[in-house]
Amino acid sequence: MTVLGIEPPPVVPRRARRRGTVTRRALRVLGVVLLAVPLLAALVGPFFAPSTAAGGVPLQAASPEHLLGTDVLGRDLLGLLLQGGTTVVTLTAAALLLAYLVAMPIGLVVAARGRIVETVTIGLLDVLLALPSLLVLMVLAATGRRSVVWLVLAVAFVQLPYVVRLVRGAAAAPACLAALETMTMTGEPWWRVRIVETGRRVLPPTIVDATTRVCGVVGLLSSANFLGVGLDPLVVDWAVVVDQNMTALFLRPSVVLLPAGLLVALCAGTNLLVDDLLERRS
Amino acid sequence: MTTRAGVRIGVALLQLVVVCVGVFVLTTFLPGDTAEVVLGPLATVDQIDTLRGQLGLDRPVGERFLDWAGGLLHGDLGTSLATGRPVVDDMGDRLSVTVLLAVLAVVVLVPLAVALGCYGGRRPGSPADRIITATTTVAQAVPDFALGLLLVALFALQLGWLPATAAGTVGLSGLTVAMLVLPVAVLVSNQLSRLARQVRIGVVEADAAEHVVHLRRLGLDERTVVLRHVLPGGVVPSVQQFARTVDGLLGGVIVVEALFALPGVGSGFVQAVQTRDLPVVQGYAVLFALTTVVVNLAADLVSAKLVPQAVRL
Repeated sequence: MTVLGIEPPPVVPRRARRRGTVTRRALRVLGVVLLAVPLLAALVGPFFAPSTAAGGVPLQAASPEHLLGTDVLGRDLLGLLLQGGTTVVTLTAAALLLAYLVAMPIGLVVAARGRIVETVTIGLLDVLLALPSLLVLMVLAATGRRSVVWLVLAVAFVQLPYVVRLVRGAAAAPACLAALETMTMTGEPWWRVRIVETGRRVLPPTIVDATTRVCGVVGLLSSANFLGVGLDPLVVDWAVVVDQNMTALFLRPSVVLLPAGLLVALCAGTNLLVDDLLERRS
Repeated sequence: MTTRAGVRIGVALLQLVVVCVGVFVLTTFLPGDTAEVVLGPLATVDQIDTLRGQLGLDRPVGERFLDWAGGLLHGDLGTSLATGRPVVDDMGDRLSVTVLLAVLAVVVLVPLAVALGCYGGRRPGSPADRIITATTTVAQAVPDFALGLLLVALFALQLGWLPATAAGTVGLSGLTVAMLVLPVAVLVSNQLSRLARQVRIGVVEADAAEHVVHLRRLGLDERTVVLRHVLPGGVVPSVQQFARTVDGLLGGVIVVEALFALPGVGSGFVQAVQTRDLPVVQGYAVLFALTTVVVNLAADLVSAKLVPQAVRL
C-alpha cells in the first residue's frame, strides 16, 4: 500500500542481497578452513608429533631435525604445536559436557516444579553471576587448587547460571507445553512428561547453545593458562607454550605466534560456523 | 517500579555478601596447611610459624571472618605479605591506570559500536553488513592475549609504530598514549561485537517501524529520519548490553594488563596470585566482584527506567 503514491525506499536492493549471500558462503568456507587446521592438529597431531623433551638447544632455527626450530626450553616447536591442542579440545569438551549434564536436570526440574522453586533457584544462580569467570580461576590458583579437575569444575561451574536459564526457557516454550499437555492428560507420570520428554525436546536448542559457548570456554581456559593460573607448566598446551615463550617474542616471534595463531584459528573458525548455523536456524 | 528497584538493590547486596563469604572461605580453607601452601615446599618451620601469626591462623575462623569483614566495611583490606604495605595503598596506586584504560576503552567502544551497528542495521544482509558482523564476531571470539600478541607482532615488531609493552612504568608516570593504543584496541575489539550487534538489531527494528516508514512516505529527509527516529530507537535497548560489556572489560583488563605489563589492578591481581599473597588476592577479588555487581545493578536500573517493558527487575 502506498500513501500519496510514494513508495518507501527498499532497504537493500536485490543485487546487494545476492552479493550478501555470496559473502556468507565465502565466510562459511573460511570458517571450515580456519577450524580444520587447529582441530586436525589437536586430534590427529599427537600421533605424528616428534618428541617434546626439554633440554635441547634453545631457540634453534629450523633444521632437518627440528622442522620449525625449538622453543626457549629447547623443545621441538612442531611437536609442541601438534601435541598442545589436545588439552584445549578435551578440557573444553569436558567442561561443557559437565556443565550441561548438571544444568539440564536442574533446568528441567525448575521449569516443572512451579514458581517458588523457580524464583529461589534462579535467584541463587543470579548471585553466582556476580563472579567474573577468570576471578574464580585465579582465586582457586592462588589457594593451591591447581589441577585439571579443578579447572574443569570451575569452568563448568561458571557456565551453570546461563545454561540453567536457557534450559528453563526452552522447557517453558509454548510449542513444547502444548505437546506435553496431551501426554499429561493421557495419564503419563510427571517425571516422564516433564523430565524425559521435555528433555528430548529441549536437547536441540541446548546443543546449539553449547556450540555458542565453545569459544568462550576456549578463551577462558587459554587465558587462565596464559596467566599461569591454569594447567601445570609441565603440561604441553598452546596457551602454556605462549606464556613460557613470551620472553622470546622479539628474538624468534614464531615460537609465540604459531601456538597463538592456532588458538586464534580455532576460535575464529568455530565462531564463523556457529554464526552461520544460528542464521540458518533463524 | 520502586518496589522492584528495591528488590533489585537487595539482590545486589546479597550478591556482595555471598561473594565476600565465598572469597573468605576459598582463601581460608586451603587444601593442606595455609601457611605451608602459601610458602611452598622449601619454607622453614620458623617462616611457617611467622606466617601463621601474621595471618592469625591460631585464632578461630569465625573471629577471623568478623575481623576481615569489619575491616572491609572500614576500607581496611589487611596488609600485603610480600611488601608489608596496606593492600588499599597498593590498590590505590594501580587503580588510576586501570580506570584510565577502562575509560579510554569505553570512549572508543561506544561511538564505534553505534556507528558500525547503524551502518550494518541500515543495510541488513548486504556484503558490508555481513563483513562487519563477521569481523567483529571473530575479533570477539579470539582470546584477548592471542589477539594482543598478533597486534604486537604487527605494529611493534614488524612496523615498529608502537611500543610492545609498558614495562618499567609505575602508576601513571611514564605512561604514554602510544603505550595505551594496543591495550585499548584489544579491549575494544573483544567487546565490539556484542554491542554493535545489539545496536544493529535495534536499528533494523526501528528502521522498519510503522512511524519511521510513515515519516519517509511523508518525504521527511533521510538524515532527520535516521538521526531523530531510527538512532534513538536502536540505541536505547543497548544500555543493558553495555553493562555486560563493562563486565567483560573487567575480565579483559586482567589479561591485557598482564600482557602489556601495565601497572594496573589487573596485573597487581595476577602478581598476587603468583606470589600467593592471600590478603592482596582477597582484596582484589572483592574489588572486582564489587565493580561487577555495581555495574550490573546500575544497568538494570537505567534500562528499567528507559525501556520498562524490556526489563524484568
